[in-house]
Amino acid sequence: MSEPFLSIRDLGRAFGGLKAVDGVSADIARGELVGLIGPNGAGKTTLFNLISGFTPPSSGEVHFKGRRIDGLKPDEIARAGIGRTFQNLRIFPNMSVFDNVSVGAIGAERIGMLSAFTGRRGVSERISQRGLAALQAVKLIDDAEELAANISYGKRKYLEIARALAMQPDLLILDEPAAGLNETETKALADFIASLHADGMTIILVEHDMKLVMSICRRIIVLASGRKIADGTPAEVKADPAVLEAYLGGDDA
Amino acid sequence: MSVSDPGRGRSLLWTALLLIVVFAVVPALLASAGRSYLYQVANLIMIFSLLSVSMHLVTGVAGLLQLGHAAFYGVGAYCAALLATHFKLSIGITLPAAGLAAGLVAFLVALPTMRLVSIYFAVATLGIGQMLYVVMLNWVPVTKGPNGILLFGGLQFLGFDLSKPAPAYFFVATVVSVSIYVLHRLSHSYYGNALRALREDDQCADAMGIDTARLKLESFTVSGFFAGVAGALWAHTAGYISPADFNFNVSILILSMVVLGGLGSLPGAIVGAVLLIGLPELLREFKAGDYRNIIIGLVLFGAILFLPKGLIGETSALDLVRRQFGRGRSIPGHEGGVGWK
Repeated sequence: MSEPFLSIRDLGRAFGGLKAVDGVSADIARGELVGLIGPNGAGKTTLFNLISGFTPPSSGEVHFKGRRIDGLKPDEIARAGIGRTFQNLRIFPNMSVFDNVSVGAIGAERIGMLSAFTGRRGVSERISQRGLAALQAVKLIDDAEELAANISYGKRKYLEIARALAMQPDLLILDEPAAGLNETETKALADFIASLHADGMTIILVEHDMKLVMSICRRIIVLASGRKIADGTPAEVKADPAVLEAYLGGDDA
Repeated sequence: MSVSDPGRGRSLLWTALLLIVVFAVVPALLASAGRSYLYQVANLIMIFSLLSVSMHLVTGVAGLLQLGHAAFYGVGAYCAALLATHFKLSIGITLPAAGLAAGLVAFLVALPTMRLVSIYFAVATLGIGQMLYVVMLNWVPVTKGPNGILLFGGLQFLGFDLSKPAPAYFFVATVVSVSIYVLHRLSHSYYGNALRALREDDQCADAMGIDTARLKLESFTVSGFFAGVAGALWAHTAGYISPADFNFNVSILILSMVVLGGLGSLPGAIVGAVLLIGLPELLREFKAGDYRNIIIGLVLFGAILFLPKGLIGETSALDLVRRQFGRGRSIPGHEGGVGWK
């Protein structure tokens, strides 16, 4: 049996006395689209930060493509092939849309200072291609030269995803991509994420919008108080008494 | 690719125009005026253009608030002056040596400080700038302390004597143009985009796989190198250096040039240098005397108040300062408003 694509083993993180993530384990196969849900404060974003290296874990291990990645720096994990977006939109506002996206490709290509003098051949050409392809994928090509601060909120959401796509990651983790979008926009985003998945991208999706998660994910992991309380198909999760308890029995449901 | 480099034709035109001004129009004007003092002013403007463009790379593009740039300028100047006076070396050797010495000092400074974020980095550069200044002031056996160093050799390059005002001007103009071209390529490339990402949101740049620590180290070292080159030019053209040329006021003057021109804009950094060196000299001509500092202060104040992004900048100075204090906080000020949130 070969090593799973992404393997989270007994992962934990405590902030002082608070166990934000407490012994979570999960294996994710290449090509899966997994939803990660849970009430507020369940530890979803912390789990994302543990996987992407922004927060070092207090215990447990993360293996990605057969390599242990917990303890690596965020940029090393990104170059290992994990692209992410942030919960509260984090684009580069004073750069053009294309330049924003180019940064994803630049990181993945690991360019050095000398690349500034080699003209538009080689690595610079590849970065341009990657950037344009990512912009085409999210249909922002017409806004390429626009300042990122000047495009609409909905477009910025796609810009952030495009920037991660320009890294050509093997695993994409999206932290609440639908936050702040209206119903029509959310529906369009769901279709877009589903199309990325159909093209073979492995995706983990944290989302509050239950309808979005239930409609496109075939597997859902539920966290509550830092622990994994359910892992299964949408139907299984919906029927799980522990999930109902977490969502309806809690004080913030 | 048009998207990656919009306006390439226009920028070529500007470059040609600038070169004509620097290598033909200005020398013609200087020759017709025939005063060596004006050549000195022209050299000073070019030297400060290089200082301001080298700070532009680290502060305007990479977003690291550098408050000790004059110290690296000083390291270069002292290195060149000491090599020239003790070993009779010409500028063909002292110039690269000064760049390497300042670059090395910048590298050593950056090694422990690159992990510092935001305002702590700025304070560290301030402290190191002051330390280097104090060394220049008090290491009397080597630097001759506050008396400074006189250079008698004049400006020799590859056996040619460039000590006369016009040849010296062309030498400075050539070195500064080449240096600024290198800095231009660094800031207007994908490498420059990586530095900009660092300025905009360094954590986010991390998530894109950008090695932010390495970029900080590299940009700081390169910036120090060119400050050192500027120092060698100053030492050889002025013929006399003293610690007062490299104190905190000078760091702030260079920062003012970058801010006035507009953070992130290389032409802005040059415009800032031309204005902040040229304007006082112009006012001196008009016998404005002591009022000139007040006028410069008002220009700066007005620039920050009415031109939040400087004359032609990419990002506003207040945004930069806000980012220094509020790490990870989102920046709401893109509407162009002024104020603390």
